[in-house]
Amino acid sequence: MAEFKMFEGCVIGNRIPFIEAACRKVFDKLGIQTSQGPFSCCPDPTGFANFDHDGWLAIGARNLALAEAEGKDILSLCNGCSNTLRLVDHALKHNSLKKDKINQELAKIGKEYKGNIDVKHFVSVLKDQIEKIRGLMVKSLSNIKVACHPGCHYMRPSEVMQTDDPMHPKDLKELVVACGANVVDYAEEVLCCGSSVSNAIWDKETDPNWGLELFKKKMDSIKKAGADCVAVNCPACYQQFDGMQRELSKKFGEEYKVPVLYITELMALGLGISADDIGMKFHRVRTSSLLEKLG
Amino acid sequence: MATDFEFRKQVLDMHVSSEVIKYCYQCNRCTDNCPVSAVTDGAYDPRQNILNSLLGFKDAIFSADKIAIWGCTVCDTCDEVCPQSIELTEIFKFLKNESVKKGDAPEHYYLQAKAILESAKAIPSQPAIERRREQLGLPPVAAPNINEINSLFKNMGLDKKLK
Repeated sequence: MAEFKMFEGCVIGNRIPFIEAACRKVFDKLGIQTSQGPFSCCPDPTGFANFDHDGWLAIGARNLALAEAEGKDILSLCNGCSNTLRLVDHALKHNSLKKDKINQELAKIGKEYKGNIDVKHFVSVLKDQIEKIRGLMVKSLSNIKVACHPGCHYMRPSEVMQTDDPMHPKDLKELVVACGANVVDYAEEVLCCGSSVSNAIWDKETDPNWGLELFKKKMDSIKKAGADCVAVNCPACYQQFDGMQRELSKKFGEEYKVPVLYITELMALGLGISADDIGMKFHRVRTSSLLEKLG
Repeated sequence: MATDFEFRKQVLDMHVSSEVIKYCYQCNRCTDNCPVSAVTDGAYDPRQNILNSLLGFKDAIFSADKIAIWGCTVCDTCDEVCPQSIELTEIFKFLKNESVKKGDAPEHYYLQAKAILESAKAIPSQPAIERRREQLGLPPVAAPNINEINSLFKNMGLDKKLK
């Protein structure tokens, strides 16, 4: 397999780097080769795209141009980054006037977007190696029940993302099963985690945090299903799940403390990598009960 | 209610070489499936936003409570369920861009744009995290070229939209 340019993104690289550590260790075991690139923010499809659409296209196209210059596909560790980079690529490929306009801006900084590389989300890449993953598992995960949350932008908008069924996703579940763990279905599987509005509430004192309302619906459904942990593949969702369960407990007077694992963390455990080596102590929601259960 | 024809044209131009938005028949499937509409008792209403946009009712959109535009989480569910394949999220992105221009967007959006202007990252690097990366055996994040991002901001007038 050819080497990818790894796009870890702002959240993983500069806030929760233990997720990058787990991803890299899993990639090493599977022989997925990556190298770094001096990428800027993708930029955020739920943030900066709403600030200025053309600016978002230009900064996104510049990132694509950096990988194009090396002739390598991008491997993204984040739903948001893969969403932006694929959306920008799609928009410019389908609108030559816009492409010309953006390339005029890029020319001023010595760059050019051509549109000749692919952007892949790491879950799609792992899914292509599912048999290999199954064969490499050394530690049994068969006594835990996992609720899957692939997040919105892994598969939506489906026309652009071209990964999974947009309303009945299965890729993440298949990976959990390949790791030897059990998938537990729950009613609110495709519901948005609410992160983008939780982050952007304009007045935290007076405005209702409906991002948190969405998240409560989601968590109640996960708790009802009896999940031992949640598996995610997006750092924004990860932060909502890992950081906001405490808020939920405070606000609603009920206990919310379901451990949340990046799928690569779960996979790393099954591959025999220790929780210490991938920095699982940095999780806000304690993972010790889950790790004890796994033995 | 007055129609703003210029605004209406901008909305119609969002779908390049396609007229799908004109064929919205207000079936309400977007709102029925919208997770935010469900938890806000309809205060956020994607169907209403599409109708107002299509009719050019600019004032109705921008004079309403902020939730009318900014309630959207960009989950893209409406795009998937629309029977007319309207890319609603693209229209909503345009409405949000207009709200930013008016200075009416939630603070978060201006702050994130400022962080990208200043550091090329939405979340700038911090010494504590750099140390943690080292502890985890990770290489430093490859430094982006901030000057290039700065130039794009200035050349495209993005800096003028900041607060």
